[in-house]
Amino acid sequence: MTQPNRVQDAGRINRSRPLTFTFNGRTFQGYEGDTVASALLANGIDIVGRSFKYARPRGIVAAGAEEPNAVLQLGASEAAQIPNVRATQQELYNGLECASTNGWPTVEFDVMAYLGKIGGGMMPPGFYNKTFMSPQSLWPTYEKYIRKAAGLGRASKQKDPDTYDHLNQHCDVLVVGGGAAGLAAALAAGEAGARVILADEQAEFGGALLHSNDWINEKPASNWVAETVARLRTMDNVQLLPYSTVNGYHDHNFLTIHQRQTDHLGETAPQGLTRQRLHRVRAGWVVLATGAHERPLVYANNDVPGCMIASAVSTYIRRYGVVPGNRLVVATTNDYAYQTAIDWANTGRQVVAVVDSRPDPDGELVAAAEKAGIRVIKGSVVYDVQGSKRVKSVSVARLSTTELSLAGSETTLDCDTVATSGGWSPVVHLSCHTGSRPVWDDDVIGFVPGPANQKQLLAGGIQGHYSIAECLAEGFSAGAQAATNAGFDKPTDLTVPKVHEPSVGKAMPLFYVPHKQPMTRAPKQFVDYQNDVTAASIDVATREGFEAIEHVKRYTALGFGTDQGKLGNINGMAITAQAVNKTIPETGTTVFRPNYTPVTFGAIAGRNARELFVPERYTAMHQWHVDNGAKFEDVGEWKRPWYYPKAGESMQDSLNREVLAVRNGVGMLDASTLGKIDIQGKDAREFLGRIYTNAWAKLAVGKCRYGLMCGEDGMVFDDGVTSCLGENHFLMTTTTGGAAHVLEWLELYHQTEWPELEVFFTSVTDHWATMTIGGPDSRKLLAELCDDIDLDKDAFKFMDWRQGTVAGVPARVFRISFTGELSYEINVQANFGMHVWKKLMEHGAKYGITPYGTETMHILRAEKGFIIVGQDTDSTLHPYDLGMGWAVAQQKPFSFVGKRGMSREDPTKANRKQLVGLLTKDPQKVLPEGAQAVADPKQAIPMTMLGHVTSSYYSATLGRSIAMGTIRGGLDRMGETVYYPMLDGSVVEAEICSPVFYDPKGDRQNV
Amino acid sequence: MSEAAETQSEIFAQMDQVPAAGSDVIAESPLSNFHWKTTGAEAGVTLSEQGLAGHLVLRSAGNSSFEAAVEKVLGMSLPGPLQSVSDDSGRVIRWTSPDEWLLTVSNSDAFSVEQQLRAEASGHYSIVNVSGGQTILMLSGDSAEMVLMKTCHYDTHESSFPVGKVVRTTFAKSGALIRRVGESEWELIIRRSFSDYLALWLQDAAGEYGLQII
Repeated sequence: MTQPNRVQDAGRINRSRPLTFTFNGRTFQGYEGDTVASALLANGIDIVGRSFKYARPRGIVAAGAEEPNAVLQLGASEAAQIPNVRATQQELYNGLECASTNGWPTVEFDVMAYLGKIGGGMMPPGFYNKTFMSPQSLWPTYEKYIRKAAGLGRASKQKDPDTYDHLNQHCDVLVVGGGAAGLAAALAAGEAGARVILADEQAEFGGALLHSNDWINEKPASNWVAETVARLRTMDNVQLLPYSTVNGYHDHNFLTIHQRQTDHLGETAPQGLTRQRLHRVRAGWVVLATGAHERPLVYANNDVPGCMIASAVSTYIRRYGVVPGNRLVVATTNDYAYQTAIDWANTGRQVVAVVDSRPDPDGELVAAAEKAGIRVIKGSVVYDVQGSKRVKSVSVARLSTTELSLAGSETTLDCDTVATSGGWSPVVHLSCHTGSRPVWDDDVIGFVPGPANQKQLLAGGIQGHYSIAECLAEGFSAGAQAATNAGFDKPTDLTVPKVHEPSVGKAMPLFYVPHKQPMTRAPKQFVDYQNDVTAASIDVATREGFEAIEHVKRYTALGFGTDQGKLGNINGMAITAQAVNKTIPETGTTVFRPNYTPVTFGAIAGRNARELFVPERYTAMHQWHVDNGAKFEDVGEWKRPWYYPKAGESMQDSLNREVLAVRNGVGMLDASTLGKIDIQGKDAREFLGRIYTNAWAKLAVGKCRYGLMCGEDGMVFDDGVTSCLGENHFLMTTTTGGAAHVLEWLELYHQTEWPELEVFFTSVTDHWATMTIGGPDSRKLLAELCDDIDLDKDAFKFMDWRQGTVAGVPARVFRISFTGELSYEINVQANFGMHVWKKLMEHGAKYGITPYGTETMHILRAEKGFIIVGQDTDSTLHPYDLGMGWAVAQQKPFSFVGKRGMSREDPTKANRKQLVGLLTKDPQKVLPEGAQAVADPKQAIPMTMLGHVTSSYYSATLGRSIAMGTIRGGLDRMGETVYYPMLDGSVVEAEICSPVFYDPKGDRQNV
Repeated sequence: MSEAAETQSEIFAQMDQVPAAGSDVIAESPLSNFHWKTTGAEAGVTLSEQGLAGHLVLRSAGNSSFEAAVEKVLGMSLPGPLQSVSDDSGRVIRWTSPDEWLLTVSNSDAFSVEQQLRAEASGHYSIVNVSGGQTILMLSGDSAEMVLMKTCHYDTHESSFPVGKVVRTTFAKSGALIRRVGESEWELIIRRSFSDYLALWLQDAAGEYGLQII
């Protein structure tokens, strides 16, 4: 296979390793060391995509992160599809498959292009907003087709076969960018002994030095790169990260680096390797050595394939050995692009002319080009391009020396490539991430970083200093400074190398190239290729009143593409400034935010995916639940047994069986997840009295008490039983989900309000395994395994706790009940929980012991009217709303949290929503939770809603449905009927009643 | 039981939580039901669970009586911020917060140590047995530090995390008390309920380096 544009012997590619790849289904060959872009150009591919709005053919423009057009879909297999891959940054590997993301049916022949041509004039900025505004309901339909036509990449719908991870890093000095300045900075900081990370987005360190013609220390610049990288590799304190883009600069010198570890090896990572890694770096000091991007000029039809930026052409020739055309015209405002003409001429292909906007350029490169016989047309501009799928010729005219207009005497030059340079734009993106607005520098003719907001230093091109000598000197200086700032001694044996490079003459500030036609009549002059923003559309935006640069950006979509307008933004600012008759500094600039280049979702997620996405918390008896077929419910992060179905049972069958087992025999629940807080100190009791709504002063050792906790607003936020273990020692239990919050709440009040109280809180949730045996047979079962506690009903009463031994394990046994049955909560050190659980199951077999889950627990407690905080409450109900005024001790000598809140005007007014019981008229009808109550089901919508159902179940105990819910003024409306309109138009009728449906006197728990 | 100790038990509930010696009670450490996937290759990371130790949380806000009791009973002083102390028998005290330490002893010693401390100390302090609620993992090997870097934000470099230092910090989406016990050996104390999740995490993080379980 021939590669028509490959140059003999030039470049850093490995010609002994040819690689095969496909683009849009056609097979091509490149070499190891190529990017997809250099390989496409080597093969003479002109069109890589169609433009977003007008579907114009587009070719490769740049050679790096700033590339707007060659944004491809990568991946041979469906699972490995990757959108948004910049061909200029994707290293070639064997078997790579890529495709244009737009162009239908093909990029060569695109139907939309005809629409674009015809409709071009009718597609002003804001076109989509203006045209598809109404009816609003059709927008999703419009959007579907607009997106298809626009040709955005697509993500795979299959599971990603690769893994991604995060690495937390710390360093004294992070150097961003591995060009001349960055290498020098890393070397200086490394020699000083600092912990250094040097990150560069490319495969090789060296940046522009890799294709430089200049000499450092009497040797080609790339030799200095090799020597320096080798020296850095010997330093244990220096970490080199290639393929690593510093994509975000966040507060506190926290930076994120997106490292593509295996993307150059294949579309999926080799076995055992992580495809991409996100380094989360806390840096002492940061040296930004991010360089600059060359700016294209804005001229008519400047998007025709073959129009490129000058430095990219040089990069392709010298780094990749690819000359992307046959006849070159260079259009420039400065000296640098002359090097491109020289490089092109050196390949033996024709340089038609260098068109320089300056009347009398005088730099060394200008002289060198002229000496090499290259035609230089001075004081002139390329203002138009002919051709559609490839440049055919350019129109050249003199530029007026007094105003921004052409001065006649036009010529046409035949060529197939136009390389332009409008100067350089420092890569200020990361500095912008810190909130620093860039400032205009007339000498640089570009924006440079504003004042540093963080511990940040600059070196080289980011400051608008482009000579290698300056870059090296600033790199050494910034690296040494960063290291000394971080507390290291200045490195001693570093001398800035000697550089041989041409001197550079003064550049001319020119962004927009005038046409014979006024801007709005001229052929399209593109500013932002990716979003098809033209100079005329910016002009229209300003005339429609969008004069602030941020408004222009949003109205035209300038800089909104995946390239963030790296090439076009500055030209856009300049054209805006011209349109509103202001200077560029007056107009200002938009800023950049993370990420510098797109980051995959995989890298963002890291290992927080699949089974590691959310922690699963297990109790000590978890394995038993798994082995015995439990279905699990997520409660916070806990996996709690929900119910234990037997073969052939429906869920309701299981629940009925479990409920009846507890009511008639004995059941067992794993209650280990309830929050448990050990409280010690002489003021523990006093503290409890201030946090809970009820009284704690007289609770004796050996006794337990239920309590409600309220926020300052008087609304219930947690509840539970707290036991007096010793005079100065209590064990508090909380809801499963509220455990961490309650501990924080206690610490908050202790540390900020009552530090004088002597009390310590320690979480013991995980320490105790808790199993609740409940039901008429629970005492008999416990007696079989416990001979050192007197279980007599009068010796060990309801709401007592005792210490003893259960199944050979020391235990605290609490006679408390959430079911209304005779019930014991057995607490043992969790290491022995499984043993005790199994013994209870073994000995309980003769009583038909039935393990039950959270759903049965919910039914059993609802039969008794016991609330679940968070289900029956929602932060708008105080204890009186819940009918639990009995749990509020208004006369306590010290106030309690929530007392003031619940006595405010609103919480004490009549007709508040209150929690009541509900019995449906049809006993088999189970109300849906969340259903809204109304007084008159025939009322027109919107109906007056009285409250909603909070808990609703079928009760096997009662053989009918039961429910709890809020009703306005409900506690005074016992016996009244309310109606619940259903989605299907039916209405469920229910009677308001006490929420205690079963054993209202509590006899069963006191037996 | 002395009269003083009896009074103490009225004030603070104390209980030997370990079954009598020689009983048939089976103890299960938090990770006893976790099935490790190890690699056959040369392991860059080695993990072992040192379960069933006695863990006591000590709290004291400048109570010199309690500090003296610790010195007398354990022969070690309460260490300062981010520090740890240990003795030849393997007892370790780790600073965990400005008024909090974690003492580990053998599980069978936990009760007697608590009793001795309570007998010696007066004033405001607390001792809480949390032996069932957490477990100790020893993480070692050439790539152990890489596993930590994937898992927690704290700077594990020897200049910031020398041997003997203790840090309680976020660990994956849970937490851990981390102590550096050697150049490439680390002790992780994690909560029981999160231990399966963290084992899964560590196994995954160590995968690329090779994992060995001992």
